[in-house]
Amino acid sequence: MAKIDTKAGDALDKRGLTDEQLRAIFRNMLLQRQLDNRGFQLNRQGKVPFALGSEGHEAIQAGAAMAFERGKDILAPYYRDLGLAIGIGLSPYEILLSLFARAEDHNGGRQFPNHYSSKKAGLMSFSSILAAHIPHAVGAAYALKMRKEAGRAVLVTCGDGTTSEGEWHESMNFASIHKLPLVMLVENNEWAISTPLHMQMGQPEIWKRAEGYGMPGKRFNGFDPIETYAVVKEALDRARSGGGPTLLEGTCYRFLAHSTDDNDMTYRTREEVVEHRKDDPVPQFENVLLRAGVMNAADVEAMRKDVLRETNEATDAAEAKPYPQAEDLYKNLYEGAWQPWQ
Amino acid sequence: MAAFERHGLDDARLVAMLRVMIQQRTLENRGFALNRQGKIPFASASEGHEAVQAGAAMAFERGKDVLCPYYRDLGLALGIGLTPYEVMLSLFARAADLSGGRQFPHHYASKRLGIHTISSIIAAQLPHAVGAAYAMKLRKESGRAVLATFGDGCTSEGEWHESLNFAAVHALPVVFLCENNEWAISTPLSKQMGQPDVAKRAVGYGIPGVIVDGMDPIACYAAVAEALDRARTGGGPTLVEAKCYRFLSHTTDDDDRTYRSREEVEAHRKNDPVPRFERLLVEQGILTEAGLDALKQSVLKEANEATDAAEAMPYADPATLTDNVYADGHAPWR
Repeated sequence: MAKIDTKAGDALDKRGLTDEQLRAIFRNMLLQRQLDNRGFQLNRQGKVPFALGSEGHEAIQAGAAMAFERGKDILAPYYRDLGLAIGIGLSPYEILLSLFARAEDHNGGRQFPNHYSSKKAGLMSFSSILAAHIPHAVGAAYALKMRKEAGRAVLVTCGDGTTSEGEWHESMNFASIHKLPLVMLVENNEWAISTPLHMQMGQPEIWKRAEGYGMPGKRFNGFDPIETYAVVKEALDRARSGGGPTLLEGTCYRFLAHSTDDNDMTYRTREEVVEHRKDDPVPQFENVLLRAGVMNAADVEAMRKDVLRETNEATDAAEAKPYPQAEDLYKNLYEGAWQPWQ
Repeated sequence: MAAFERHGLDDARLVAMLRVMIQQRTLENRGFALNRQGKIPFASASEGHEAVQAGAAMAFERGKDVLCPYYRDLGLALGIGLTPYEVMLSLFARAADLSGGRQFPHHYASKRLGIHTISSIIAAQLPHAVGAAYAMKLRKESGRAVLATFGDGCTSEGEWHESLNFAAVHALPVVFLCENNEWAISTPLSKQMGQPDVAKRAVGYGIPGVIVDGMDPIACYAAVAEALDRARTGGGPTLVEAKCYRFLSHTTDDDDRTYRSREEVEAHRKNDPVPRFERLLVEQGILTEAGLDALKQSVLKEANEATDAAEAMPYADPATLTDNVYADGHAPWR
């Protein structure tokens, strides 16, 4: 079901992507997995307090990031979007600063790990609260419309669990009434922490809610980064040119526990995870590129080493940085030295 | 004339539905009149909702089903057994009112009839309705269902979405009836939704969705009866959308001339469900002109008597202010 749809011997349909872009997508997927695993390792070593698992989301995030226009579009992600963050320009060093909660982190070491924000990259700061960022995204899209900033759009992402929140509904409804430049991309990985999809919804396809809002909806294979790119690009292009919002549902799977604080073996079987592993998007896409001659085995090996080297360097560099100073606790909270509790 | 489809309703029940519709309109206009006379503080309007409410009430099973209505459901309340006198006690906010004169006018509650007390807050009743349906399921009370109603504006609330989703996940015995009258106070449907059919949202929840002519009480009865039967027999929830229209202002405190044209209202008046159903029953020989006239007289007499009787009742005694708020004598502010 989640196999990338390429038949042996057929020419790969690159959907307009160059070989360089295809390699960039694959590198992003390798880097995401490496950084994702690094977060878990550092947590187990007692070096970072917490990390979130995004294994299984590499294809959908690398594909979507390739459709995002840096410097124009706005990204309102959720906490499982490591690949989207690096795909639109965050560096591994910035990711590690977030995990280590160092002073130099974009949020001054004050945000949750894996909760990035970057003015430079157009990445909005986000909350762990499910669906809290969706009204923010709709507000940003509303501002783009009111300011007549054509050619720009907001890409907002969430998991399947978020679609049950009232804010999700209110946001979709408002965006559709006002035809806002917004793409709602749901990364449906079948699990909301420990809640399986059949306890989350009365039917399993999120895109089917689009008709009720009067907006286009589409479901696609989120294990296929090329398909993801094409679908997200079409929706972003429509949003940028005044065609209003789109609801997209990319099917994927969460291979790891929800976070380093979760043990998924208390609520799902090893067999289920192993079954989905057969469709792991990273080796699948590697094979696609090898078969299409976009990369050879030596290229892949060199890329892996390069990603590992970059991750190691970023880890060491971030770890060596200092924590925030205690006296900076209220920095950026109140103007000047104003302390209302005194 | 097209064949008359009565959906199993006998003459007596058809006449009973018409009576509820005439009763609703009479009491509704009485509320506005009493407000303009300075006798009651407020009334909300339900003209144009007579057919959907009389039809839905006929499908409701008294003593078994539970009703979670909203503030525009005068006809539903009457249809399932609230008396004109009880409605008037609510409007006059008298001590003998079921809520002790403490609720908003038209916010009924009746343990006897299975009507949940109503909040004015849009969509607040839906999680309550779903909770009641969840209780029925957990207690294995088969043969019972919850009927929850709301207007089109309510469908934009997060609670609406969460309620439909939860009911669908757990296949709860609840029917969601949207009385789509095209106006949420001053917000037209085009500013409420990206497309005009509430029922189209059902597919996203994995439940059946039905659109029905809300100006036709028989069609409304059939749609709600089918949905309630499915709910009572373990078939899960249904979203029914009845297309109707709000002829009056939102309430006595609103002036709809500030946001919609007289032409629009007049155009919808041509489809007024009350004269339409009167004509149908006369044409079908179910009611004679004399019978219709007698029915109207009887409803008016009842409304007049209820008005006088309720007005003569005393207000709540200020000494009872905290009754039913805290357990015996407990006054935490002292």
